[in-house]
Amino acid sequence: MDNREVLVDVKNLRTFFYTEDGVVPAVDGVDLTIHRGEILGLVGESGCGKSVTALSIMRLIPNPPGKIISGEIMFHGEDLLKKSEEEMRLIRGDKISMIFQEPMTSLNPVFTVGDQISEAITLHQKIDEAEARKRTVEMLHLVGIPEPERRYRQYPHELSGGMRQRVMIAMALSSNPELLISDEATTALDVTIQAQILDLMRGLQKKLGMAILIITHNLAVVAEMAETIAIAYAGKIVENASATEIFKFPRHPYTYGLLQSIPKFTERRTNEPLPAIEGMVPSPYHMPNGCRFNPRCPFATEKCRAEEPELLELTPGHLVRCFHPIEP
Amino acid sequence: MRDYVIRRVLGMIPLILIVMIVSFSIFSLVPNPFAALIENPRIKKADIERLIKAWGFDLPWYLRFFKWFSGVIKGDWGPSLLYPGSSARDVIARALPVTIRVMGIEFLLSLLIALPIGIVSAVKQYSVTDYVVTVFSFLGMSMPTFWFGLMMMMLFSVFLKRPSGAPLLPAGGIMTPGLEEAPFWTRFVDQLQYLVMPVLVLAFSSVGSWTRYMRSSMLEVVRQDYIRTARAKGVPERLVIDKHALRNALIPIVTLVALSVPGIVGGASITEKIFNIPGMGSLIIAAETKSDYPTAMVGLMLTSVLVIVFNLIADIVYAWVDPRIKYS
Amino acid sequence: MAEQAVAAKKKQKTSDDYSYVGMVFHRLTRHKLAMAGAVMLILMMLFVFVGPLVWRADPNEQISGLEGMFNPPSSAHPLGTDDYGRDVLARMFFGGRISLFIGFVSAVSATLIGAFIGLLAGYYGGWADNLLMRFTDAMLSIPTFPLLIALASVMGKGMWQIIMVIVVFGWMSDARLVRGLALSLKEQEYVEAARAIGASANRIMWRHLFPNTLAVLIVSTTIGIGSSIIYEASISFLGFGIQAPLASWGNMLQNAQQFIWNAPRLIVYPGLAIFITVLGFNFFGDGLRDAIDPKLKL
Repeated sequence: MDNREVLVDVKNLRTFFYTEDGVVPAVDGVDLTIHRGEILGLVGESGCGKSVTALSIMRLIPNPPGKIISGEIMFHGEDLLKKSEEEMRLIRGDKISMIFQEPMTSLNPVFTVGDQISEAITLHQKIDEAEARKRTVEMLHLVGIPEPERRYRQYPHELSGGMRQRVMIAMALSSNPELLISDEATTALDVTIQAQILDLMRGLQKKLGMAILIITHNLAVVAEMAETIAIAYAGKIVENASATEIFKFPRHPYTYGLLQSIPKFTERRTNEPLPAIEGMVPSPYHMPNGCRFNPRCPFATEKCRAEEPELLELTPGHLVRCFHPIEP
Repeated sequence: MRDYVIRRVLGMIPLILIVMIVSFSIFSLVPNPFAALIENPRIKKADIERLIKAWGFDLPWYLRFFKWFSGVIKGDWGPSLLYPGSSARDVIARALPVTIRVMGIEFLLSLLIALPIGIVSAVKQYSVTDYVVTVFSFLGMSMPTFWFGLMMMMLFSVFLKRPSGAPLLPAGGIMTPGLEEAPFWTRFVDQLQYLVMPVLVLAFSSVGSWTRYMRSSMLEVVRQDYIRTARAKGVPERLVIDKHALRNALIPIVTLVALSVPGIVGGASITEKIFNIPGMGSLIIAAETKSDYPTAMVGLMLTSVLVIVFNLIADIVYAWVDPRIKYS
Repeated sequence: MAEQAVAAKKKQKTSDDYSYVGMVFHRLTRHKLAMAGAVMLILMMLFVFVGPLVWRADPNEQISGLEGMFNPPSSAHPLGTDDYGRDVLARMFFGGRISLFIGFVSAVSATLIGAFIGLLAGYYGGWADNLLMRFTDAMLSIPTFPLLIALASVMGKGMWQIIMVIVVFGWMSDARLVRGLALSLKEQEYVEAARAIGASANRIMWRHLFPNTLAVLIVSTTIGIGSSIIYEASISFLGFGIQAPLASWGNMLQNAQQFIWNAPRLIVYPGLAIFITVLGFNFFGDGLRDAIDPKLKL
């Protein structure tokens, strides 16, 4: 059991998108808890609602066509969904920061990288420009960018992908936030750079003590980084447990399927094909009845097709949303 | 950068040559423009023969081109046949300021109106404001200027009258005869009434196009990832639009503005004709209609050269404004 | 409440259910302005082609004498008569046919010629590309309108002359467009494959590259018809182009100009017709562009 203070508590979040072609229930009842200093991994395939969850916490959902229609996001005992836009603005970049997937396009091409970081600083801290510049150079140094004074004056297009992502991290951490949300921040990078950035993030977390919500579809990333892992499928959380539990004793068939489909070098080689989860992620316009995973689940029964299971705590700290969870 | 400019300037030369050749060839399709002058009792036969010799019409076309070409380079643009006694150069020098005044005012006014409207329209996409603005821009772009001009004249000169019985706005010309010697301020105020209709007519179409361009550029920019980053940083929405978005959206607009400047000199031929404005546009048309080929050719050539030069200026401005562009 | 909305929308067809053309059509029909444009165009077509069958009058029949001139609208002449005592409505029908014909033929021809040049330049690249594009740029530098008039004055007056003049100055933007597309398309693998099995340059250009530019060209042509109509009207307005007694909307406007003080309504009709037609083409073309690819920037 985690006895750290609860930082963010997402309760029954529902974020829908109202498009011309229909309603997309991108996030349909998500519960998440992030403790102070915790590294939580949110894993799932494309389209399962993990990015939308993050954007909902930041209240950056574009409206139209999106809308957070119900739920609570408790932060320091206050519901973020009830705050005014101005109050949220003060939180963004200061208490909760977010970094995104595409470093190539996430920075404004017409301003220098230094100016963009300084802007983040002066927006939230009452220091003058000169002081902000100094802090910016410190941050650039902190994220491992060599020759920070020279880099300050460069434009984003003059930096490589890995460097840009470091700049993004510097920008996000410049006001020492309590929570850093990393939305597939390493997905678009080369594997070696990916490893560097993950190392950097781990080091910074030890140094600054912020909580990190790592969103990714890559199990290897969370294996390295996360203490706790939440598995998302079709807009809901289907399993939530410590990292060791997830990898050693996966209880939801989907999690099990995911882990099975990772090729392992340690097992004996057979001529059998790599196990894959049958079927495809359901179209958001045509969600299945009952448990959303049932069309692809080898253990599905009539009950699964008729009713939706609740997210229940099966063993302490291990939550599963399934009528027939796999026995350890 | 400097090498690029030099290369481009050198590249302009063949372009200008081609333009001169094309202009010249079109007019050469008519055998001998001076033949028509024989009808004119005011011109002596000896003068006509002198003109034929001076213009090289006694020579085959390729030599004639050289004669003309070398004359133009030296600054001798030939005589004006419309206004015998004046040189083409004088005639153009008289018409140019008139056109620049009308078109210049219209250009600035259009930009001043269209750009803010385009921005608002993009920011409030799909709203009623956006819809109305879009419809109006289409109206402007599709409106035949000559018809609109005539309709304006109908309204302001034929139907609406001043207490004295005179038309509310004069139907044509650029100033009240007799005021040539009047003090500057009197002339200024007098000319305003003549400018209202032509400027309005021209501006209506321009505003339509510029609004569309600005709106489309803003829409393109506002979709970008770096705008989302700015919001995630906690930048107030006002600054997101006015600083982060606008600075990027104006880049293509600035280029377009540079490319549109030559149009100010070319003049709007038909509008000038309808409103009896003695500017470049109506001069060139009159020259072409009444076979004053020297004037027509030179007028055409002037505007073309301006277009080519401003093409280069546009590219230079573009490189100056967008840090990503480096011509090396 | 949200569940009900979701359930209701489940029954709707979504974008996944259509073929390419079907999808374009589906998006087009939902675009309000495009449909407004389509309605305008259909009305204009009906006016111009079906009108003469409904209202039979000779556009060239003159009523001599003062009583025939400038008659206000009446049951005998729904739009009145002009300075020669001719029935304005009939002239509007036939003038419209000519204006639309010229607009259509010149726009389509300009597009085809431009596409041809663009394909050549884009496919062959190198010095051919350089040459053709320099030429295109030079032609683009010359301000269209004065040269249009120049050419018109030199080539003489008449319908085919106008079409030729408009085409001479209209092919450039399509050439640029197609060249750009050809340059990127020819890097695609199916072109390499075609070359590998021995397809000739001609075949690759026309059978593989051209069809992929069609969508863009159709949009360009649609909007081009609007511009061509305005060009024709402008040229006729200045006295070149279509000559009396033949009617075109442009020369009707030109004729009406001098009578602004006594019969201003003669200015309203042809101009309004031009305006509605061009507006229709612009609305429709813009909607078409959005339907074909909402993210496309032409």
